[in-house]
Amino acid sequence: MASTEPEVPPSAEPVVVEEPKEAAEEPAVTEKAGEASEPPPETKALAATEAAPGAATPKDYFPVVDVVLRVLLFAASVVAVVVLGTSKQTKLIPVQVVPFPVPVAAKFTNSPALIYLISALSVAGFYGLVTSLLSIFALLKPTFSTKFISHFVIFDVLLLGIVASATGTGGAVGYIGYKGDSHVKWGKVCNTYDVFCKHVVTSLAFSLFASVVLALLVLLSIYSLSKKIPK
Amino acid sequence: MDLSSNSNGGLEQGRANNNNKEVVEVANKSSLRGSDLMLRFLAFATTLVAAIVLGTDKQTKLVSMQVVPTLPPLSIPVTAKWHYLSAFVYFVVANAIACAYAALSLLLVLASRGKKKGLTMLIITMDLLMVALLFSSGGAALAVGLIGYQGNSHVQWNKVCNVFGKFCHQVAGAIVVSLLGSAVFLLLVLLATLNLHKKHH
Repeated sequence: MASTEPEVPPSAEPVVVEEPKEAAEEPAVTEKAGEASEPPPETKALAATEAAPGAATPKDYFPVVDVVLRVLLFAASVVAVVVLGTSKQTKLIPVQVVPFPVPVAAKFTNSPALIYLISALSVAGFYGLVTSLLSIFALLKPTFSTKFISHFVIFDVLLLGIVASATGTGGAVGYIGYKGDSHVKWGKVCNTYDVFCKHVVTSLAFSLFASVVLALLVLLSIYSLSKKIPK
Repeated sequence: MDLSSNSNGGLEQGRANNNNKEVVEVANKSSLRGSDLMLRFLAFATTLVAAIVLGTDKQTKLVSMQVVPTLPPLSIPVTAKWHYLSAFVYFVVANAIACAYAALSLLLVLASRGKKKGLTMLIITMDLLMVALLFSSGGAALAVGLIGYQGNSHVQWNKVCNVFGKFCHQVAGAIVVSLLGSAVFLLLVLLATLNLHKKHH
């Protein structure tokens, strides 16, 4: 909001000029702009803040928190993808066919669940990058349609489903790899491939964090929407 | 319903239009509420069915096994139960929680008539939590089910479903129904958000 301050000349005129332009886009926002321009002797900074669409009150920090959360989502997804992508570990394993131990590699591509996890996280990271850039753009130029930004919540919910299911998938396979299952004779893997398992667990922790961030993003948008409803 | 009165005088027509608008608004609201209640009931039913289908999953089969190398293989009854795999336990618990919550929220929405704002926010938050819970449990069960169905040759996890066919089919059914339930919860969140958008603009 502060970045728009220098663009507004001392008179209250630009606010009035801007009004019809916004009227074509959002009728609800013009109401607020009209309210803001009604007391003209107020300071120009306040008028500029009030006129900005998406800023219902001067202490409206929803867009800033939104950007911070989106950047966090991007960072967490990228870290998780990198950690999982570099998880290859090769060890000498004794095999029955040949008398000497053979190097066998553990990779994430060996398990479809981990492939799903890494693709979901890549999608989340890409989405986080694009939406955080768009949100920063909207933060710098409040006249840029915030209505468009507020529809991100739909994709946020969808992505929350994808990332949560990927975390569940990876967690289930990781748990079997860590503990094994005696009933179906699936032996544990993590006693042999310790570094590989550490990478998978770290990646899972970051993807859990990413899903929490996504849930917070949805809650934030819903909360800010419900605050804006005129009573 | 008021269309017939449109041919009357101007004043009356205006009133009729007003009436019409009100009727449409009320109808919109009630249909939204109706679909909300219907979706909640659907969520309750699907999660209940998923929890019961997987929670009662059990199959016993005679498997021939070589106990002592010198003797001929013996047929031993082997039982596959749902709680042998922790992912399935998580799945059943998550679906039971979602089912209980769906019933509770159905009652709360029916009782409150959508008047209290705080309650609406609480219900949306809980809906969102259920989306995350159900999707993660569905993913977990799907991953384990896939290993059981295909096996994993890299870590020598052998497939199970060639022996316990009925058990695996029941697991697959439960996963599909539970995914439907999580989609319903997702729709509930989207519906609430769109409703807020409409109120806003």
